Formats: sequence, structure tokens, C-alpha cells
Amino acid sequence: MVTRTALAAIAVGALTLPVGLVAPATASHGGNDVRTSGGCSGSANWKLKAKPDNGRIEVEGEIDSNRSGQVWHWKLKHNGSTSARGTKRTTGPSGSFQVQRRMANLAGKDHFTLRATHGAQVCRGTISY
Amino acid sequence: MRAVRRPWANPLVQFVVASLLLFGLTWWATGIFSQRAARSEALADARVTTELLANSVAEPAMPRGLVDGDPGAIDRFDREVLGRLLVSDVRRIKIWRADGTIVYSDETQLIGKRFSLDHEQLSVLHNGDTEGGLSDLRRRENRFESEEGGLLEVYTRIESPEGQPLLFEAYYSVETVKQRSVEVLKPFRRITLGALVALLLLGVPLLGVLTLRLTRASLARERLMRRAVESSEAERRRIARDLHDGVVQELAGTAFALSGTARDASVSPELRDELQGSSQALRRSLRQLRSLLVEIHPPGLTASGLGAALEDLTAPAASAGISTRVSVDGVEGAPDHVVTLVWRVAQEAIRNAVRHAHAANLTVEVRGDEREVRLTVRDDGAGFDPSASARDGSYGLRGLQSLVEDGGGRVRVDSTPGDGTTVRMAVERR
Repeated sequence: MVTRTALAAIAVGALTLPVGLVAPATASHGGNDVRTSGGCSGSANWKLKAKPDNGRIEVEGEIDSNRSGQVWHWKLKHNGSTSARGTKRTTGPSGSFQVQRRMANLAGKDHFTLRATHGAQVCRGTISY
Repeated sequence: MRAVRRPWANPLVQFVVASLLLFGLTWWATGIFSQRAARSEALADARVTTELLANSVAEPAMPRGLVDGDPGAIDRFDREVLGRLLVSDVRRIKIWRADGTIVYSDETQLIGKRFSLDHEQLSVLHNGDTEGGLSDLRRRENRFESEEGGLLEVYTRIESPEGQPLLFEAYYSVETVKQRSVEVLKPFRRITLGALVALLLLGVPLLGVLTLRLTRASLARERLMRRAVESSEAERRRIARDLHDGVVQELAGTAFALSGTARDASVSPELRDELQGSSQALRRSLRQLRSLLVEIHPPGLTASGLGAALEDLTAPAASAGISTRVSVDGVEGAPDHVVTLVWRVAQEAIRNAVRHAHAANLTVEVRGDEREVRLTVRDDGAGFDPSASARDGSYGLRGLQSLVEDGGGRVRVDSTPGDGTTVRMAVERR
């Protein structure tokens, strides 16, 4: 199941972004967690993690740009519909920010997409659970 | 009649038993009523809570798109209201569309699933108001419920931001209703228990004193009665002795003298006949007087002489052509007052049989054991209707009952017209 999830994530990523802008996504799992990660259109990287949380799915996303103080606009989609959105500033030596939301565990497989933009730089990561 | 002492005959025991029965009844009744009151109150509470959750929490927070199953809208709504909807004893929330689709539930696996709404739910959806009742946990939409003791469901109407009517449904644990019942019941229980304890604390000593007084009065009355009977017996003995030693002796002497004079040769034949007639009349009177004396107080009336005394009583019956049988057994050592009572009752019964029954057979039977002495006088005569006789105030029956009750015994008369009469009497042997 996890392998299929990873493959699906790779496939979705490959189809929705121009080839050459992003590095290929990788998927892994530990226990009940599902993790994916990949590169953005610039030098930034993204990571996504989904895990069960008391009948819900907790989705955690991280953007690592290596530049502290950048303002990023982000959007978290659930099965293609916007579930949450906001603005974050990268902090710390790694120049990163995190978003975390609890999502409804709907019937069937749930697909989540994190899209973050900073100027022309675009990060787009997906994960299924 | 000296009754056999049984525990339940004691007024104190009766009072305690009646109090406990009353207490049990009150306990049961307050339980039923308080449960009803608690159920009603819990349902009213649940209605108020449901309306509050629906109108103050769910409806204002509902995003556009939720009614159409938009996952983002579901997430936003879930994050915003879940913690505020599942408060206190709310176990489940469902928001339904009119077509039976669940657009939101805290059990997210139900979202998007479609089930049929019943008539009452549709009525609330279309007309408003708030209704509720016990959940049918066998229904498919309740397959995630595992609440012990069941659930209470209450539903009311809300509207989506798009203006679509929705059914907001909240589920509550029935255990809460039971707890509520216990809370309502507690004060009643305390009052009931307190009232009973107070009643017993106050009533038992009071009744105990009254019972003691009654017992003492009863014993005093019994003593007086026995003395009265003993005095009566003594008086009868004295009268019988005086008559026997005085009048009877003088009449006997006079009868002898008249007979002797009548045999004198110098007496004229006319006077002799006159004297013989007077002498015979005196002898008849003497016999009647002696019979009367036997009735007033039979000589030697003790347990050992009871059989003979009863034989004497049946002698007039035998003279009247009635076949008689007397049987006495087990009365050895019976006290004199018991023997006297047996004899007097037999006397009354035999007298009635001879006078009114026109019987062919008469049986007198006395049986005794260590506890009591029983007399049975049975005839096969005309019989009578005891109930009619009681209504007429028959002196014979009343006299018999009075005689037995005064003597501390119990009597029963069985008779049917044309089928003889049986008189049964029992008296304690002490």
C-alpha cells in the first residue's frame, strides 16, 4: 500500500509540474506514518508527513529554503479542495517553516497537496493516506 | 376462646410487617416515578443542548460547500466545531441532507454515505421543531455505535449557508439518563427511608406499650371469667346440695309417710286411694327434681366420670326411642373446668337433638390429646339452616356459642335441612 502511495505521489508530481523544475519526490513509511519529500522549482525542498490522529489524519508539511526571513504563501488541499491556507516566514539557520493540520479521514483514500510559493519559487508536494 | 399464639397474630409484628410492605411499595413507586421524571428531564435537557449546539455552534460555523461534500469545507468545519460539539455526554453528531446523505459527522467514515430518514426526521427537517427518542442501534447509520445501554437521539433543523435545510442530530448516552434517574431518586429514597425509620421508632414503642396493656387487660378478663365460672359452679353445687339434703329428703319422707298411712287398715278406701294418688304424685315430682339436680350439677363430674355423665345425658334420648352411642377417649387428667364445658355443650346439643331433630341416631364422641379436648355430637335428624337460624337470633345457637366462648373454647355447628346436625367443640386442655 505504501509503495503504491509513493508511486502515486511520484506520478501526480510528475504530471502536474513542468519537468526540470522540481526534483523527483521520494516516499517512505515508518509505523503508521507516511512521508514524502521532494525539491521545489528553486533551491528549496519540501517534506510531507501524514499519520493517524484519533480518527483524523494529521498532515505536516515543511519547506526548507536555507534562507531565513523569506515570506511564503502556502495552501493545503484535501482531495483537490482547499482545506487550509496561510502565510509563513522561514526561520532558523535552515530557513524553514512548518504547517500542520488535522484533516477528516474520509471514506476511501485521501489525497493531500501542499503548495507553497515565494516569488517565482514554487513548491508542490503530495501525499496520500 | 383461648387462641393459639402465632407470631403474626401479634399486633406489633403486624405493624412492622405492614410498615415494611408499605415501605417496599413506596420504594418501588418512587423508583418508577423518578425514572419517568428523570427520563423526561433528561430528554428535555438533551433537547435544549441539541438546539444550543445546532443553532449556536454548528449553523454559524458551517462553511459553504459542506452541504455538497467539499472535503476542504469538511476539514475546516471539523477543526472548528468538533471540540465544541462533543461536549459533556454528547456521543455522536450527524448532519443530514434531506436526501438522507450525511454531510458531516464526527465519525468521518459516515460522511458522504446515504441512509433513509424516517417519517419523524423528515417532519422535523421540513417543519422545524425538535424531537427525540431512543436510537435503533440496528440501523446501518448506527453501526459505529457501541454504547452500553443504548443511545438517546435528538434532532432539530438547521440551514446551510446556501439556504438548504439540514437535520442536525445529536446522540446522548442512555447511561446519563440512568445517572440522572439516580440523582432524582436519591432525595425520594432518603425521604422514604427517613419516614419509615421515624414511623418505626415512634410506632413500635407506642404499639408495644398498647399491646402490653391489652395483654394484661385480656389476662385480667380471663382470670375474672374463670373465677365467675368457678363461682357459678360453686353456687350450683351449693343449690344442688341444699335441694338434695333439704327438699328432696323431706319430699321422700312425706311420700313414704303417705304410702305407709295408705296401707293402714283403719283408713277408709276413699281416703286410701286419695293418699296413694298423692304419694305417687310426690314420687313423680321427686324424680323430676332429681333430674333437675343432675342437670344443675351432675354428681362426680370429673374426667374419669365424663363417660357416665354423658350416658346419663343421653338417657332421655334413649327413652324417646333414639339410638344413642357415647364414646370417650383420651380425656384422662383433663381439668375439671374443661370437663364441665364439654358436658354442658353436650347437654345443650343433646337437648336440641331430642327436642327438635326427630333423629333416629345420636352419637356423642369425645377425643382428647395433649393439646386439646374435642367434642362431637351428631344426629341424623331434620337438620336446619344455620344461616337462617343466625339471622333469626336463635337462642339455642347463641347460647351454645356464648357458653363455649365464655369457657375458652371454639364451636362450630354444621347442619343442612333434612341431613342432620353436627356440633363440634374444641377447648384447650389447660
